[in-house]
Amino acid sequence: MSGPEPNLPTELNLKGSKILLVDDDRLNIRILTGILSTQGVTVAAAASGEAGIEEYARFRPDLVLLDVMMPGINGFEACRRLKQIHGEACAPVIFITAKNESDDIVDGLEAGGVDYLPKPFHPKEALARIRIHLQNRRFLEYQKSLVEQLSLANAAKNRFLGMAAHDLRNPLASVRGLAEFLRDGTVGALAPDQLDLVNHIHDASQSMLTLVNELLDLAVIESGKLRLEPVEASLGQLAAKSVGLAGMYAAKKGTTLVFTDNANPDRTMLDVDKIRQVIDNLLSNAVKFSPPNSTIRIHTQLSPGGVAVWVRDTGPGIPDGERHKLFKDFGQTSVKPTAGERSTGLGLAICKNIIEAHHGSISADNEPDGGCTFKITLPFAQ
Amino acid sequence: MNFTGKILLVDDEAHIRKFVGLVLKSFCYPTIVEAGDGLAALEAFGREKPDLVLLDVNMPNLDGLQTLARLRQLDPEVNVVMLTSLTNRQTVEECVRLGALGYIRKDTPREEISAQLQRIIQEFLDADAAPETGATPP
Repeated sequence: MSGPEPNLPTELNLKGSKILLVDDDRLNIRILTGILSTQGVTVAAAASGEAGIEEYARFRPDLVLLDVMMPGINGFEACRRLKQIHGEACAPVIFITAKNESDDIVDGLEAGGVDYLPKPFHPKEALARIRIHLQNRRFLEYQKSLVEQLSLANAAKNRFLGMAAHDLRNPLASVRGLAEFLRDGTVGALAPDQLDLVNHIHDASQSMLTLVNELLDLAVIESGKLRLEPVEASLGQLAAKSVGLAGMYAAKKGTTLVFTDNANPDRTMLDVDKIRQVIDNLLSNAVKFSPPNSTIRIHTQLSPGGVAVWVRDTGPGIPDGERHKLFKDFGQTSVKPTAGERSTGLGLAICKNIIEAHHGSISADNEPDGGCTFKITLPFAQ
Repeated sequence: MNFTGKILLVDDEAHIRKFVGLVLKSFCYPTIVEAGDGLAALEAFGREKPDLVLLDVNMPNLDGLQTLARLRQLDPEVNVVMLTSLTNRQTVEECVRLGALGYIRKDTPREEISAQLQRIIQEFLDADAAPETGATPP
């Protein structure tokens, strides 16, 4: 990150602050200047509202002390104009009022003032009030610069993540693909030890590719660049395709996928790749977290206003008190995959974002007789 | 698949050329010519007269889109399929507008890349076998 770190404003020191005094009473100006200069405050003065507004633009004060009753425009009007001209960046305005003008205080606050100083002045009270408002302003500025720096840092992180992930994908895909050719004996048969090594290379590149893809998805989502390319399609048919593919790796674990399509033919507007990704993710989670040799049930159903897919696993379910982690970035629960599979804790966060971008919903519920059911619902095509 | 034509494989990354080459050889019998950038691709195209060009999008010297445009100038009938990583819709649309037959994502699993290549080569064979020789719309 470029730029200096903002320092937390802790000191209540008034030294170096700039305060503009606007009062037609020269004596008041002199008294206030006396009080303020003991604290090292730089003071500028103006004798009317109009002159004060002009002086503000030149002096750029940190705070304005503004008399109410003046020839020409009064203090309230001067305050309104200052706020109008300088907007949110305008320095805080404290009104100077006589004791008997206390009814006017409300008007003053409505005009944009933050406080009032009653005449005659008590130096300690005056300084205390001024200090508080300068301090508030510094906190506000600090907060603003902090938010600005944080959002810049976050954008830089997302750009970096996106670039890194993007440049890692192709080489990783090649490592995986070339390992597959070796494994399949395309370039000659391998001895069992060699095959074992190649399998490790393949699995490592596969899990890294998954991680990189998820990081990339997250970076895209976080940077607000998730763009859907919706076409009219059938959620039931997509689910059927995903189930077909997932069946292959499920079989390695002895897991059976049972699919019932009660919705077909449904027509929904969806981004085919992204929704496939969501269904694939739910299916791979279900396989991952269910014990070997279990049965995972998937079914689709039309519901009022939309179409839904249910994926029911036979895993341990969502532990009590961990539900809030489920759809969060890196929000892994204490449940572990049952055959040493990897999990990044990003998949469901990505799913949630994709489904919500489709104006759909995703939820998860434990079943009374064990396991957990994930449900996604998408609205019908408009 | 009974395809024995010549394929020009253009990518600046050697491992991609190796990988895509192996995928191709796993289902047909092409002669594969490789090029590592756009300029080398143009040179190889003139020399080898390939039946099909597989063309990377992001390359040094001359990128995929520029190379595609030049290839089309050399031979308006040239068969080009783009090799992309993440699909960028604009890039893909631009490729199709410039006359590419389609695109293949290099970062998808081998089976998918293989299936896509088989489809493209099948279409190519079909078009060759068809009595009328016209452009086949995608």
